[in-house]
Amino acid sequence: MIQFEKFKLDNGLTVIVHEDHSTPLVAVNILYKVGARDEDENKTGFAHLFEHLMFGGSENIPNYDDPLQRAGGENNAFTNNDFTNYYLTIPAENLETAFWLESDRMLNLAFSEKSLEVQRHVVVEEFKQRYLNQPYGDVWLLLRPLAYKIHPYKWSTIGKEISHVEKATLDDVKSFFKKYYAPNNAILCVSGNCNLKQVKDLCDKWFAPIPAADIPVRNLPQEPAQTQLRELKVEKDVPYDQLYKTWHCCSRSDADFYATDLLSDVLSRGKSSIMYQQLVKEKKLFTDVGAYMLGELDKSLIVVEGKLVKGIKIKDAEDGIAEVLEKIKSDVNPEDLQKVKNKIESGLVFAEMNIANKALNLSYFEMLGDAQIANQQAELYNAVTPENIITIAKEIITDQNCSTLYYCSKN
Amino acid sequence: MLIRNISPLLQQPEKIIIPEPEKIILKNGIPLYIINQGTQEVCKIEFLFAGGSLFESNPLVAAAVNELIDEGTKNKSSAQIAEIFDYYGAYLQTECTADWASVSLFSLNKFLDPTIQLLQEVIEEASFPENELETFITQGKQRLSVSLEKVDYLARKHFAKMLFGDHAYGYFKNLNDYDTLNQEKLSVFYQQFYKREVKAIIISGRFDKEDENKLLTKLELFDLKPADPDFSKLPSPAPYLMQNVHIEKEDAVQNAIRIGCPTINRLHPDYPKLTVLNTILGGYFGSRLMSNIREDKGYTYGIGSGVASMQQIGYFYIATEVGADVCNDAVKEIYKEIEQLQQNLVPDDELNLVRSYLFGSFQRSIDGPFALADRFKSILTYGLDNEYFYRYLECVRTILPEDLRQLAEKYFTVSVMTQVTAGKEI
Repeated sequence: MIQFEKFKLDNGLTVIVHEDHSTPLVAVNILYKVGARDEDENKTGFAHLFEHLMFGGSENIPNYDDPLQRAGGENNAFTNNDFTNYYLTIPAENLETAFWLESDRMLNLAFSEKSLEVQRHVVVEEFKQRYLNQPYGDVWLLLRPLAYKIHPYKWSTIGKEISHVEKATLDDVKSFFKKYYAPNNAILCVSGNCNLKQVKDLCDKWFAPIPAADIPVRNLPQEPAQTQLRELKVEKDVPYDQLYKTWHCCSRSDADFYATDLLSDVLSRGKSSIMYQQLVKEKKLFTDVGAYMLGELDKSLIVVEGKLVKGIKIKDAEDGIAEVLEKIKSDVNPEDLQKVKNKIESGLVFAEMNIANKALNLSYFEMLGDAQIANQQAELYNAVTPENIITIAKEIITDQNCSTLYYCSKN
Repeated sequence: MLIRNISPLLQQPEKIIIPEPEKIILKNGIPLYIINQGTQEVCKIEFLFAGGSLFESNPLVAAAVNELIDEGTKNKSSAQIAEIFDYYGAYLQTECTADWASVSLFSLNKFLDPTIQLLQEVIEEASFPENELETFITQGKQRLSVSLEKVDYLARKHFAKMLFGDHAYGYFKNLNDYDTLNQEKLSVFYQQFYKREVKAIIISGRFDKEDENKLLTKLELFDLKPADPDFSKLPSPAPYLMQNVHIEKEDAVQNAIRIGCPTINRLHPDYPKLTVLNTILGGYFGSRLMSNIREDKGYTYGIGSGVASMQQIGYFYIATEVGADVCNDAVKEIYKEIEQLQQNLVPDDELNLVRSYLFGSFQRSIDGPFALADRFKSILTYGLDNEYFYRYLECVRTILPEDLRQLAEKYFTVSVMTQVTAGKEI
């Protein structure tokens, strides 16, 4: 249970405060409600490129990292298809430095040609390091456009093609900032050795003067229901075959999310799970296999991925998965379900050991509608019955809703 | 009027207090350390064994024993063990380095009775079933075959070899090493080093007196023996000779670079100072290597340096992956940054920034019971105690630019650095 207080500034900034006096540190998390799904199809990779530029100096502070490190702080950020998140931890006595830094870059960035030029290069190197220079690194670059034909989830956060980032201009970047980086499009969470009054005062001082902006109403093209099986086979210079299957499912904020997530958990969470025991240990089709739900904010995907044992035919491996999935449509063992519920509960308790984690969690659930949902997770998962899971499995796990990627070894 | 271009007044944290673990010698002679703090009713119990790869006579045996420890006991199959741990939301984490092996249980306090009972069975009666070993081999070979396609892995592997040769510190597994494993070899190693060579048990988390007493009573019943191995009596690496090597990988779009040399370890009086110097060069986001090679030139997504410490020796390394076309330029810039540190004094302003950063970073590294336990383990294995950390913090506070310049000359001698690149021909 994470105790917290919540208030809103006049400019629309939502602020959440969680006090934890067992630590000498404070975590500050700022979530901006903009991600790769908000990008123009011809200018993809912007949300992420922009995250890099947020460290290139703001209107009144030429360098973000330098003063933060001087205050004993450390920070990082990540971007995904739905949102962009910045977080830092800092010794409690220097909390104001975090407010000073974060408010200035919310106010306005410095936007230099040099910074853009360098970060374009850095992002291109990131693209190479993560997606091109690794065996199987491009899986999601192939899988997303296979599963999505219309919705912006069809491109990855890094971008549809790297030329979009290479061609980014200072004007593009400025207009992206104006459009999305404003207090009324952000959630600020302060967690750790702080108190409500202090955070309120700091917010009034540093964030309250920042004007709100007209945030465009999100109106994304929704993915139409898939009507037939999609398959893609690639042959690459990789050591062994891998198999990926996706099915469209509900969004993170849908009531069915919990049953859908538990469906993937019952299948594959933990070494005692059905998939690991049957497909890895007994039938020895895979060296590793897993099912998971992406849990994105628009209609999302449930994914099964497996690494094939060398020499196993990919169709045989696929049949192995199909058999397990067919069975789950009629039979969910209540003990298996209880087990994954226990695992989730324990995971929630462990996750609350870290102030940065708690700050991210509260911000994330506030984005979903209410930070309080963070404290209802165990309950929401616990309410799911075997029948709920069976219903979901029957509805989602069909051939016409499925996209399969056969990622094969050339040799 | 709000002044936005001047930083709020900064405060150095008042004296950093490092909680002292409670030490108890169990009836079986094993030292137990207790770190009781935090907010969550959870517990980590870590068993530290003198069972690293330094002690194996057959490659991979130490790693296999470590990973397969919970894959079967006299009375329970791998599936049954996994089922019980999973049911209680508990999990085991295993780790095996050249020096040590460890097995840690993470459990909610309310389920400690069943989870610790199973932990005892796993540690006392591991049986290493043939078919589980087979799965381990298939999985391991596949993972390794992927790693061997990565330039970063290739550079690391060859770098270790160049520094430490055939010694355990230079060893990276080969595919055919897997074929030399069998159940017998695993059992022998396990009987010797897990059952009879426990260095310590470290418990961390938050528990009341009752839980703590219960835990002690249970741990006392573990049928294990203590040991305090003397690493200086083990064979040490052959004399080091610097070498430059390029590992060809024609289709690479980035090249991996490793530059470095063997150096002192944590036991040496210069070690805390050397870690400060390393931070300036490549140990944090604002470091010289990051500022130059990422933030100024855009050659890489990341670059860093480190000083690794093992029981017998340490090593210094710089690691990065850069665009294949700029590999040579990046290497040049790396050496330039090292030479800068040898020729010029670090400006006070930069040094003060690094001091503050390191204080903050140290506080983060001991924040929460699990973090503190990890940090404590890193000194316990050297026979050190919290005095080491206070000495380190004092060094951060007082080290001078001239000290740093001398250290750079002494420990960052370019002419003895080994350079490994992996990727496209350069």
